[in-house]
Amino acid sequence: MERWQPVSVLSNIRRGEVAGVRIGGHEVVLWREDAQAATLHAWEDRCPHRGMRLSFGFVRDDALGCLYHGWQFGGAARCRLIPAHPRVRVPASINVRAYTVREHAGLAWVSMEGAEDFPHQQAGWPEHAQPVRTVHVHASVGQVRHAVGIAPDGGMAWHGPVGLAVHEPVAGQAMLHVVRVADGPSALGLSHWAERLRDAVEGGAQMAPVMAELAAGIAA
Amino acid sequence: MTTGLTLYDWTPDVRCYAVRLGLSLMGVAYDTRAADMDLPTFQRPAGLRPGERPPVLVAGNVRITRPGTIMQFAARQPAVARAWLDPAHEWAILDWLDFGTVALDMLAAARDLAFGATLPVLPPMGALVAALRRMEDHMSARAMAGHDWFAAPAASIADVLPFVVFALSADLEVERDTCPALRRWAHRMRGLPGFVVMPGVPDYA
Ligand code: FES
Repeated sequence: MERWQPVSVLSNIRRGEVAGVRIGGHEVVLWREDAQAATLHAWEDRCPHRGMRLSFGFVRDDALGCLYHGWQFGGAARCRLIPAHPRVRVPASINVRAYTVREHAGLAWVSMEGAEDFPHQQAGWPEHAQPVRTVHVHASVGQVRHAVGIAPDGGMAWHGPVGLAVHEPVAGQAMLHVVRVADGPSALGLSHWAERLRDAVEGGAQMAPVMAELAAGIAA
Repeated sequence: MTTGLTLYDWTPDVRCYAVRLGLSLMGVAYDTRAADMDLPTFQRPAGLRPGERPPVLVAGNVRITRPGTIMQFAARQPAVARAWLDPAHEWAILDWLDFGTVALDMLAAARDLAFGATLPVLPPMGALVAALRRMEDHMSARAMAGHDWFAAPAASIADVLPFVVFALSADLEVERDTCPALRRWAHRMRGLPGFVVMPGVPDYA
């Protein structure tokens, strides 16, 4: 598995939101603080208390609360409040497994190995890419990458003003992430194009005509 | 004082939940007759006619059994806010209401198969998955146009049945991360005044 996985367009994880995503079958919770910095976090989707999925939880300012018994975890992935024992100092050993996350080219990128270097920063992709949409495709990641022209070691493929990335939630399925530069095709037009691409991949149709639409320019 | 409306209700039934949710969101009061369809016929409430199964809404001479029709009936009550069947968006609302009714029937059938079996097996999910995908595509496009709800500027009866389909399809192993636009819309639904949960189904799906 590659070190940095593009897991979501950023428009799906706005301030104060929580979203569960899967990476190669591993459950990951993405959440963004409802605070000035609005920092994005990616953690293992599992509460250290009784194993509840943290993606069912809620954001309180700069902490993520578990739905089950309300334990709250701060930005450093450490538990800092147990509502049943509000006066007790929470042991430092209670924490959630944190992954590294970067926001780049309109996407959230996660490294489950905790990588600190982010090579895609130097890839020369458009600086201010805007998120369009994440689309579920019932086909292997290899099929989708091949269809949209992402090199085996490349994080994204850019077709003019349109950027495409893929990750594997679970074997045999793919999430296609679509971004664009501001003066590129309309978001709505691209969203419908992504649906046609999905249907073509799933139906085993020829990809060339769908990809040619991108080169010809997508209308709204 | 009675409300003039009686709902024959079977708590674990998904169509009944859709009706309870819609009536609660619209602030419509009603009397409940619990009708446990697992009990023999003679132990069910007398007002339920042979062959009828909940939900059944009775208002005087009117008897309605289809969740979509019950939604329309409720939304046309004088005390209910017009937004639930906004005249300016009536056809879009009715169109999605009908879509939701069919999708809800698919959900109910899939759940009956999945939970009625001695071994937990997943039924063929093709039609239900296709309906969820259509909903996801629709709400993605709505979000891009700056809209929060299925068919009108505010929440309407078009949102109620699709919500139940999305929320309870989690029990059938439809993963939430495949439907990001529906996740964000469902979160808004849960924040509406009068929102009620399905007993036994946590408030997160
Ligand atoms: S399981 Fe998370 S607080 Fe108990």
